[in-house]
Amino acid sequence: MSTNRLNSPAELAALKQRLEKNRNANKTVVTVCAGTGCMACGCEAVLKTFHEERKKDRLENEVEIKATGCHGFCERGPLVVVHPSGVFYQRVKPADAKLIWEQTVKGGQLVNKLLYRDPQSNEIIKHEKDIPFYKRQMRIIFGKNGFMDPTAINDYILLGGYLALATALTKMTSEQIIGDVKKSGLRGRGGGGFLTGKKWATCRAVKVDPKYVICNADEGDPGAFMDRSLLEGNPHQVIEGMIIGAYAIGSHEGFVYVRNEYPLAVKNLTVAIKAARDYGLLGENILGTGFNFDIVISRGGGAFVCGESTALMASLEGKVGEPRAKYIHTVESGLWDKPSNLNNVETWANVPLIIERGADWFASIGTENSKGTKVFALTGRVNNTGLVEVPMGITLREILYDIGGGAPRGKRFKAVQTGGPSGGMLIVEEAQPKSHGSPVAHGDIRNENEAVNLLDLPVDFDELTRVGSMMGSGGMIVMDEDSCMVDVARYFIHFLTEESCGKCLPCREGLVTMLSVLRKISAGKGTMEDIKYLEELSQVIIDTSLCQLGGSAPNPVLSALRYFRQEFLAHVVDKRCPAGVCKDLVSHAIDNTCNGCHACLKSCPTSAIVGEPKRLHYVIQDKCIQCGACYQICRYNSIKRVKRGEGDKLQERAREQWRPPLKKVTAEVS
Amino acid sequence: MDKVKIKIDGQQMEVDDGTYVLEAAKSISIEIPTLCYYPYMVPYAACRICSVEARSASGWSKIVTACNYPVWNGLEILTNTPRVINARRTNLEMLMASCAPVPVLQHLAEQLGITEPRWGTDKHTCILCGLCVRICDEIVGAHALAFVDRGANRDVSTPFQLDSESCILCGACAKHCPTGYIKMEEIEKRFIVHQEMNLSPNAAITLPFRQAVPNVPQIVRENCIHFKTGGCMVCSKVCPKDCIDYEDSPKSEEVEVGAVVIATGFDSFDPTPMKQYGYGKYPNVISSEEFEVMNNAAGPTGGKIVMENGEEPRAIAILHCIGSRDHDYHKYCSRVCCMYSLKFSHLVKEKTSAEVYQLYIDMRSFGKGYEEFYGRILDEGVNVIRGKAAEVVPSGYRQHEEGHLIVRCEDTLIGKYREIPVDMVILSTALEARRDAKEFGRKFNISTGADGWFIEAHPKLAPVSTTTEGIFLAGACQGAKDIPDAVAQGGAAAAQAMKLMAQGEVMMDAAYAVIDEAFCSGCKMCNDMCPYTAISFDDAKKVSVVNSALCKGCGTCVAACPAGAIMARHFTDEQIYAQIEGILA
Repeated sequence: MSTNRLNSPAELAALKQRLEKNRNANKTVVTVCAGTGCMACGCEAVLKTFHEERKKDRLENEVEIKATGCHGFCERGPLVVVHPSGVFYQRVKPADAKLIWEQTVKGGQLVNKLLYRDPQSNEIIKHEKDIPFYKRQMRIIFGKNGFMDPTAINDYILLGGYLALATALTKMTSEQIIGDVKKSGLRGRGGGGFLTGKKWATCRAVKVDPKYVICNADEGDPGAFMDRSLLEGNPHQVIEGMIIGAYAIGSHEGFVYVRNEYPLAVKNLTVAIKAARDYGLLGENILGTGFNFDIVISRGGGAFVCGESTALMASLEGKVGEPRAKYIHTVESGLWDKPSNLNNVETWANVPLIIERGADWFASIGTENSKGTKVFALTGRVNNTGLVEVPMGITLREILYDIGGGAPRGKRFKAVQTGGPSGGMLIVEEAQPKSHGSPVAHGDIRNENEAVNLLDLPVDFDELTRVGSMMGSGGMIVMDEDSCMVDVARYFIHFLTEESCGKCLPCREGLVTMLSVLRKISAGKGTMEDIKYLEELSQVIIDTSLCQLGGSAPNPVLSALRYFRQEFLAHVVDKRCPAGVCKDLVSHAIDNTCNGCHACLKSCPTSAIVGEPKRLHYVIQDKCIQCGACYQICRYNSIKRVKRGEGDKLQERAREQWRPPLKKVTAEVS
Repeated sequence: MDKVKIKIDGQQMEVDDGTYVLEAAKSISIEIPTLCYYPYMVPYAACRICSVEARSASGWSKIVTACNYPVWNGLEILTNTPRVINARRTNLEMLMASCAPVPVLQHLAEQLGITEPRWGTDKHTCILCGLCVRICDEIVGAHALAFVDRGANRDVSTPFQLDSESCILCGACAKHCPTGYIKMEEIEKRFIVHQEMNLSPNAAITLPFRQAVPNVPQIVRENCIHFKTGGCMVCSKVCPKDCIDYEDSPKSEEVEVGAVVIATGFDSFDPTPMKQYGYGKYPNVISSEEFEVMNNAAGPTGGKIVMENGEEPRAIAILHCIGSRDHDYHKYCSRVCCMYSLKFSHLVKEKTSAEVYQLYIDMRSFGKGYEEFYGRILDEGVNVIRGKAAEVVPSGYRQHEEGHLIVRCEDTLIGKYREIPVDMVILSTALEARRDAKEFGRKFNISTGADGWFIEAHPKLAPVSTTTEGIFLAGACQGAKDIPDAVAQGGAAAAQAMKLMAQGEVMMDAAYAVIDEAFCSGCKMCNDMCPYTAISFDDAKKVSVVNSALCKGCGTCVAACPAGAIMARHFTDEQIYAQIEGILA
């Protein structure tokens, strides 16, 4: 029995008070983002440097160094925030850490080169809350990450953690808790968007024991990492939510099914569970209320399909992760045929907030049918990539421009893909092209003055479904004019063919058939029949698939056909890829704006580019393998991706001017 | 079970709540096509061919799979709308794109109007219906098969694609595979083993034989899956009269009777000790009983006469008197072998084009039409050689091209030594008494002769009775005989038994023993001594009592009684003394 055990809510409150009293609000705290993203950027070396410097200067008692969870601005990692001033440093290298230590921690000065500089206004912004990326967000869940060491339960308690649990267990009945969750309008954050309160009520009503609560942490969508960061950065909030939920439903056993590819999340969660047990917040007689509940971590085996609830439960039981028909719901008969309530990580994390701050407060955020905030993983061709938490109802325009900072390298936004492989491509092109004079703009041959875009679409469950996509788990992949919608559709279908469990015919065979058709179109061999097939097959696959992997698989294709039909037609009829991506339909060529900097020549892997320095270069069409390296590197936008076979038309002058190098001639003496 | 009202294709019906649509439709004769459905297993819903449209009164509709969709009150099901047909057809076309055009898919394609699958066909024969895996898991319980890999690479296999140790060789997977992807393969690669034949190889439920009485199937425990793994039990689910009882076992009953007819039959002589014929050593040397099994149309080869490698024999030799008329084995003649040997040669001539050789000592064709049959056989071109075969050797000995075996004999009619190359040798083995005949007879107080057969009361005048009253003999247990004779004898024995029972009064010999109760001390010595088990012990009176009906008046008990309490009627001491005095006078 641990001496740390909190035997009552009063003891918990007392602990918080003690921690608050002992905390010196003026003490310098250096927080370093230690989420997986920043780890990949080298934050461990930064942390090590700070620790070394502190040891050297013997300031262990004066300065605290805290490795925290993800701060969200992954584009600019590694991130360091120094408290109490709140100065925000980005792209910190180990050498920079030394500077920060000397100048900021010890000297109280700023290191300007590490501060955030707004790309539009060129202004330096010192504090996190003023940076546009953060200003427009509403970080009710993620906000805590920056102040907490996820492996230190006291940090969480200091921020008010587990108080909601104490309230729920001692001052509320199960019905009241479920009522609150219902009133708040919380909907599942994993993709289904089902009303959480309703799900809990149904599960509670089933008169079968035992009941299970499950946390679905098998985040499989490509490009989605919200759940990962939440589990890495604030596992206690998820745990607290699960305990409250278990109490409301009448369950005593909980499972967190986390994908094995998240080792840091598993580690931090394990530490958190143990710490909670030590404090008597998990296990028997939680906080002395007599309620028993414990959590077991189960790791996945590497299958996307195990994010589907029935496949997840099969995998938890130790069987092959295959879904089953949901005509009988899992809340009635799920894990081991017992009532099981499954919710996503983010859903669970919202629960303590609702209990703590009230259902009305929660319901005041968001739209009529989608309450609260949503964490999106904003990735792709946008300036500020990372995790953004925004209130429901915010428009795509605000996300892409105000938070995302617009398109990099002066390109045009083209589409936003939400909901992962189950979602759709939404068109977000602007009416006024801010193009750089490319002869081939979008594949979309529409009236330039017509603003057919969804930039002003409010982001919420029903709106996204209405326009042919879905919220999904929160992945938001931004694409610009250099992305080909046929290629993207093909990518998602290919992903799904590899992840399909193979049990039901339409998903297993249908997706493979769709993939071969899309590949055909991408290779320039498509016909109008093929587009008809795609639509017909899509409908049958949606109708007859056993689970939602197959049932939503055609969405990318259908939405691409809906909003970018002209692009498909260009591939099929013109045999042209307007975005210049599909290699068989594209020729790379250099136009007359080339200034002969030689950069492309050096990057070409097949030595297909020839040209003298400071003179027009051109691409030998026969040697070019369409790899696109020259396109990526050219800073003058002189490389053009034209229709296959038309490359030389652009390069006539260059070829005329080309003078081959002088051959060495030796005189012959007769 | 609550009942709910639903509508299928416009027909109203009432079914139990929670019934699956497929079963409900079947009960009103609406057929919905399936590929992966099996009525005694949990529905798998993988093939989606059973898709139907479900509609509610409020107007929503969606496509569901009939095999596992539970009905609810007010549900409407449509099985043939264009949307449903299109869903089924497209799914089938996609399946055909990766499978070979096997009959089960062709049949479905015809039903759905597909003449030319849009995406062609491939070579794979497995349609991934999962019937084999699920049967092995759920019904058989051996868990030897499973699905491996994911998505388009999904396949059915054993662990690591090696021969599975869990497989119990029941053949259920092969039986239910709709395309023939799974086949049963002989592990030892011998086509047939004559000595191991029985009339029905691997079936677990069989009629013992066609003429069995009662003519009902029985469970063969060695082949039954339930007794191997505890699973299956499908037979009990199917039987409409609930006749299956797995706990059934042989029971013994006591019946009180007054007459017993013993018809325990004969055993076949086992020719293994006769090493010169190579029975059990060389393949294709078989006994007559084994040939009968092979020849039977309900047998393992379906009546075809084949060698062990499955080919038809080119020449067959039938050797008479194996174990009969033999000083080393049985001196008697088994009476039936000559005729059945001729029958065999007739059957061989009818079914194959083989040469037949009969090696005999005497041709005993004694009965009605038998000699005529022999003549017919000779006309059919059967080679009869008078001379018991001396030896059977494998033909590698002398590099003969025809025949795998060589029969060596002396043809006494032409006085020459012959070596006959044949492919198969049939040994006409002797009939002999049952191995346990002697012991068995002791229970009924009847004895066996030197030749092993039971002894009748009189060979000419009482061939069906024994020396023990009420015990009769019929059939081969009394001596080797053929079917007409056995049937006749059976009738005779039955008549004798009925005569006994119908008499009401039995006339007996007047000479029998009587025990005087006053002198009997209850020592029971006489009880065991009586060879006719005529004396029993009365527990109430504590004296022995003679059953006068059984007593034959042999006098053994009279002499043995220490108290002299037993008197032989009409043969008392006084009567004997008087006779002696009369003679001496």
